[in-house]
Amino acid sequence: MDSLIAELLLLRKRVGNWVLLGFWLFMAILFSYLLPYYAYTSDLNFHGRGVGAVLLIALLPQNLVANITNSFPFFGGTMVLIMGALAMGSEYNWGTLTPAFTQRAGRLKVFFAKMLALAIALVPFVLLVFLLAFLASVSISWREGQPIELPPLWDLLRALAAGWFLLAVWAAFGVFLAVLSRGTALAIGLGIIYGLVIEGIISSFGRQIDLLKQISTVLLRTNGYSLISSLGVTLPSEAGPGGFSGDSVSGTQAALVLAGCLIVFIAISAAVIRRRDVTGAS
Amino acid sequence: MAVDGLSMKVKRGEVYGFVGPNGSGKTTTLRMLLGLVRPTSGDCEMLGEAPGSPEALARIGALVETPAFYPYLSGRDNLRVLARHAGVSYNRIEPVLAEVDLTRRADYRFKSYSLGMKQRLGMAAALLKDPELLILDEPTNGLDPAGMAEMRDLIRNLGHGERTVLLSSHLMGELEQICDRIGVVKEGRIIKEGTLDELRRGERLKLRAEPVSGAIELLEKLEGVGKVDTGDGGNLMIEVDPSRAAEINRVLVEAGIQVSELCVVKLSLESVFLSLTEEAEPLG
Repeated sequence: MDSLIAELLLLRKRVGNWVLLGFWLFMAILFSYLLPYYAYTSDLNFHGRGVGAVLLIALLPQNLVANITNSFPFFGGTMVLIMGALAMGSEYNWGTLTPAFTQRAGRLKVFFAKMLALAIALVPFVLLVFLLAFLASVSISWREGQPIELPPLWDLLRALAAGWFLLAVWAAFGVFLAVLSRGTALAIGLGIIYGLVIEGIISSFGRQIDLLKQISTVLLRTNGYSLISSLGVTLPSEAGPGGFSGDSVSGTQAALVLAGCLIVFIAISAAVIRRRDVTGAS
Repeated sequence: MAVDGLSMKVKRGEVYGFVGPNGSGKTTTLRMLLGLVRPTSGDCEMLGEAPGSPEALARIGALVETPAFYPYLSGRDNLRVLARHAGVSYNRIEPVLAEVDLTRRADYRFKSYSLGMKQRLGMAAALLKDPELLILDEPTNGLDPAGMAEMRDLIRNLGHGERTVLLSSHLMGELEQICDRIGVVKEGRIIKEGTLDELRRGERLKLRAEPVSGAIELLEKLEGVGKVDTGDGGNLMIEVDPSRAAEINRVLVEAGIQVSELCVVKLSLESVFLSLTEEAEPLG
């Protein structure tokens, strides 16, 4: 518990984490509400979806879950990957593992306290984005004279849980990369390239090449999109960095694969932390 | 191999100086004692416990290499983080800040600290647990002369009573003033260990004579005379029992060598260190 409080203090006092949270909220609301609503009010053909009632309906409160959850596997994942990589990688950059590991707590206790603190820190990432999305959708409803209907509570709770789970996997991935690379720069670089480029390429070519199709079924974004699609979310099918052009898997399979990834990331990181010599700042 | 068969014992309540050239394995040894680096073979105990075990760490305070803290946190918050990891009450923070004279700057961010302030915060962190054993690796690095003097006084005071201090440093003057015993390490092994007096034993004779080559030739033939070194300004440093000064003077004069100066020289720790690390083969 003591180490958890220490790690929460570290996360809370780091300005970079608040910047990531703000950027994530801005990106999610911008792409899920502001731009689509601008397209609707400007009568633009927004990404080929068409305009009019269909576009407006997606922005109303009853479609809150379907509209905002799409942001989690892409923007959200990338943001918290950076947060995870910063939280762990900075310890190597600053050499702060030495004082942390020479207190009473021990290596694994410090590491798991950090993981738990990250998991707790992800809660506002989920709650605030849903809160802002709710406010945006209510504002649009009110402005367009539409009735305000809330999504079913169970759907909302499932979406909150799925969103947190997706972010947890990506944050653990950031920690994993930081532990392996003993720093932040390479971890963030590799993580972003993986999330934005490699997964997209594999998913795209998976339509033509069977092997890549098989590989894509264990990738983070494929399973992330598959998980939220099982909540009734329509996946973004456009090409581009945030688009998803691969085949989705079942919700259960996605949840299992993501849970497996989470366990593997944490287990390997913990094993490396436990065994590897701790030298000075890198 | 950074450390090879190194063996040392540090007695309770003493200030033990750990000295050696760069790359001799000092920091690696200290990291092993703290459980940060694992030896490939052999074993060691810290206060009767395994290195790096919570039981041992609870009784040890350490400052290894440069002080490492979170740059975006204040000095006080950095100590709060470490106090939590150590399971120590926040009540310890103010006394240790006062002890290293950092109270007034404790709310400034660590990244704004001077090197001297960083060292003092490192020392405060090492003292948080009120440890039985303090391990300090180059604690005066980056300090100005006044800061070094303050740090020396602090370490000397900390070494009084039951607390043991294991101090690694390059600064011989510093060690000479603080330490009860010293271990000299070279190539990962202790080559000499003892009190300051024991290490400095073997006073030498300083000789100025003409012709120098004739004096050296003659001295090297004398029984009981060890190494004859040519020092600065044509001085000769002779490894010999100082009580034989009169005898050596007589021999030289009888051989027609003009002796203009002959005196006993007490070795500094620095000269002992240099002669040991330049020549000696590691023990055991």
